[in-house]
Amino acid sequence: IITLKTFTNILILSSSRWFNMAAARRLKRVVASQPGFLPVKTSVDAAGLTSGRRKRVNKNKKKSWGKHSDIQDVEQFLDDVRLQERTTGGLLSERPDDSLFFLDVGQEFGTVHQSSSVMCRLPSVLAHQKPNAKKLRRLAQRAERLAAKGVVPRKQRQLLNRRPVDKTAKKTATEANNNPDRGFYNLWGQEGECGLNALLLEAHEVEVKKQKEEEKIEKQLAFNKEETTIFQEQVEGLLEEEEKNPVEEEGQGEMPVGAIVLAEKKTEKQRKREKMDKIKAQQRQVDRQQIDRRQQLFQLRSIKASIKQQEQRTKERQTERKAKQEAQKAMPRRLGRLKYTPDLEVQLSDELASSLRQLKPEGSILKDRFKSLQKRNLIEPRERAKFKRRHKLKYVEKRAFREIT
Amino acid sequence: MGGLQKKKFERGSATNYITRNKARKKLQLSLPDFRRLCILKGIYPHEPKHKKKVNKGSTAPRTFYLLKDIRFLLHEPIVGKFRDYKVFVRKLRKAYGKSEWTSVERLRENKPTYKLDHIIKERYPTFIDALRDIDDALCMCFLFSTFARTGKCHVQTIQLCRRLTVEWMNYIITSRALRKVFLSIKGIYYQVEVMGQLITWLVPYQFAHDHPTDVDYRVMATFTELYTTLLGFVNFRLYHSLNLVYPPKLDGKAEAELKEEDEEGYAMNSESYSEKLSALGGSLARVVSAGEEEEAEVDQFPVEGEDMEKMEAREKEQKELEAQKRLFEGLKVFLNREVPRESLAFILRCFGAEVSWDKSVCIGSTFDVTDETITHQIVDRPNAEKQYINRYYIQPQWVYDCVNAKILLPVQDYFLGVTLPPHLSPFVEEKEGDYIPPEKLKIMALKRGEKSAQEEEEEEEEEEEGEGEEEEEDEDEDAEEDEDEEEEDVAEEMNLKKMEKQRSQGKSLSVKVTPGKVKAENPARLEQEEKAEEKRLAIMMMKKKEKYLYDKIMFGKKRKIREANKLAAKRKAHDDAEKVAKKKKAKKQ
Repeated sequence: IITLKTFTNILILSSSRWFNMAAARRLKRVVASQPGFLPVKTSVDAAGLTSGRRKRVNKNKKKSWGKHSDIQDVEQFLDDVRLQERTTGGLLSERPDDSLFFLDVGQEFGTVHQSSSVMCRLPSVLAHQKPNAKKLRRLAQRAERLAAKGVVPRKQRQLLNRRPVDKTAKKTATEANNNPDRGFYNLWGQEGECGLNALLLEAHEVEVKKQKEEEKIEKQLAFNKEETTIFQEQVEGLLEEEEKNPVEEEGQGEMPVGAIVLAEKKTEKQRKREKMDKIKAQQRQVDRQQIDRRQQLFQLRSIKASIKQQEQRTKERQTERKAKQEAQKAMPRRLGRLKYTPDLEVQLSDELASSLRQLKPEGSILKDRFKSLQKRNLIEPRERAKFKRRHKLKYVEKRAFREIT
Repeated sequence: MGGLQKKKFERGSATNYITRNKARKKLQLSLPDFRRLCILKGIYPHEPKHKKKVNKGSTAPRTFYLLKDIRFLLHEPIVGKFRDYKVFVRKLRKAYGKSEWTSVERLRENKPTYKLDHIIKERYPTFIDALRDIDDALCMCFLFSTFARTGKCHVQTIQLCRRLTVEWMNYIITSRALRKVFLSIKGIYYQVEVMGQLITWLVPYQFAHDHPTDVDYRVMATFTELYTTLLGFVNFRLYHSLNLVYPPKLDGKAEAELKEEDEEGYAMNSESYSEKLSALGGSLARVVSAGEEEEAEVDQFPVEGEDMEKMEAREKEQKELEAQKRLFEGLKVFLNREVPRESLAFILRCFGAEVSWDKSVCIGSTFDVTDETITHQIVDRPNAEKQYINRYYIQPQWVYDCVNAKILLPVQDYFLGVTLPPHLSPFVEEKEGDYIPPEKLKIMALKRGEKSAQEEEEEEEEEEEGEGEEEEEDEDEDAEEDEDEEEEDVAEEMNLKKMEKQRSQGKSLSVKVTPGKVKAENPARLEQEEKAEEKRLAIMMMKKKEKYLYDKIMFGKKRKIREANKLAAKRKAHDDAEKVAKKKKAKKQ
């Protein structure tokens, strides 16, 4: 068995020295002959390779002779001969015709072949013999005894107990909800027919409900004393809360180094000026407010008027909104994309019929019921699904017509 | 930032609603299955108050369902059945595709089905709840029973609807529950009273009609599925409440009457029994077949706090009801071929009449047209030869008008060839100040007239001939006038009637006014005048604000009266025009 190492060595050798077709083929042959190796191209290649040139082998030793010569066919033939001699006592080719063939005139098996066929006799013997006849006899007797007592084997019991097959076909048909022959039963049972018992039951249930509610409230209110420790109780209110140190905000951020120097020079001035400005602005504001307040006295009337106007507007809007809400309550709810469109079925006075025979009905009740269900907000307004094209159709004129137009 | 910040659309109304597609995905159903489930379970979409909040800022029109409802749907066993059905369809299609016919048969035999009984019990826990919602169910079932059996919707559904509607009608006939009928342009409206509940439904005319294309049949079929189940159970309960056999069987006597020789011409043997039932000709069999049971008189239990007046009023009402139930009793009516047989047979039998029709129309006719004891024959042709003298040949509207008026109207208005009086709607109840058409007034007068005559047992019972001019009113409250005939001396007739009424009421006629009688009238008028003056004074003394309010109220009231006057003026103008036209006609001739 060639290992990977040797294989690579060979490859390198062959590739480095004489890389010719012969060497490659030789290598392939050796590799392919390893057990378990599945070549890409099967025996065709191998046969082709080997049949062309044979390697020179020494066959004078037993080992090499056994390895390189194929005696399969001879062995096969000899095996066959030995088998024939063993089984039929001599070669079949040397037998006379009568012993091999017979003319079938419809007689029994045993009478013709008794004399010559050894093989046929043996099965007949075996056919009358049962290797475990005693055991079977014993089992049968046991079963008889048990059956006499009444105990039946499990499989038979199961068979007997099996219910007849339900006619599921008919059953599903009769069970279907829209079967015209379906039966109905008393769904609402004994309503009020028990009288006193029913009333008592009702009262009982009401009481149970009340009790449950009370219990719930009690649970919510229950104060579990064991959870809070006694220490916490005692200490309640004694500890002061830590004062929260105000986080000092650090300036307005560090200005660039150069700017600092200049800013520092002017900051004092700036600060003073800022302060003055602030004070002045504040003063101005206060003065302005005072003046405003004084002027408002003279503007009272117009102020009143404007307030009144605003109030009126809000009132109007309120009433409008309320009216709209009330109107909406009367209309059917908007559920979904489409709006509800009421149908009106009226006949004009010249269309009215003078007798029942000439009466022409208007509208269809199916549509009427459908609209009524929509109006009562049981279903949302529906319309028939339209056919939408994904891509627009292209219309092209034929060449001939294009020339005309 | 911690994770405890409140985020938008995570609380409140946004979490209470769920869009339709999300709900569908949560339930893992296809859209038609989801729709069917919602219809069956009674889950309807809701419109939230603040759409923007629920829709997470957008105002796109979406369908919202309450999240509670969808969670409730998750526990429904029918959802599993829908999924089984989907799988079944897939397998069947595969078997068809592979041409495995044995598999196809086997699958078909084991088709998954579902029942809706538990849903009915859940949605209508008591019988009265079911009765309240039976209007819709009846409309749908009657509608579906008129469909053609083409296979567009399951033929079994149509058959089931037919069976249930026939059972219902038979029950109404047996219990004499019908109260009002109205012929509208859409169909025929019926109103019955069952166990104290007023139930109204609409039946289409029997003419063939094209089905509209913009109606979703699957939705309607699902509703019908639910409603057929509901109606079936209700029928069962109703039949048992009257001690009738359910499924209904014809009474032995009635069945013998209906036996005919050539029954095969009408229907297949399997269907002939149901066809006989649907003919509404025979009465139903009872569980405990007793003879004529005398109804025991109901004991009078004086309710606390009720005076004698109320009790008497109730007794009177009951008596009236009993009288109404026997409206057509003793009549033997024959229906001609061109009138709507089922509707008329139903109504006539509801009030005790005996009905029959031509043999060629339907199975189950009890007597022939040649029967001498027929009292009325309903015909709708402009001219028909009247072979028999002892029966009235009238148009079908007579039956409907009689039911609404609760008395037997005079037959003369409904003879063949006569222009019919308009068919008034019994569902309109006029309040004070509303416009009451003169025909209705006449009918009321008729009722009162007949009643007063009965009470006083006068010998001279002058029947007021009602020359009717009645208006036909549509259910949609669109007053349309029919063409009427008017007699020339109608004014004189009115006068005569007034005098007779006054005489029957014991008042003295204005014709015989003597000076003494004038004095007698004075105190009444004086009182009235005094009252009016007091009223005027009070109005003058009101403050400005109060007067303003009072004016507003009176304006509203007067507006009604003004409208009524307008209608009356319109009517008068129309009548005058007719009068002129007739006169011209007469002159020409």
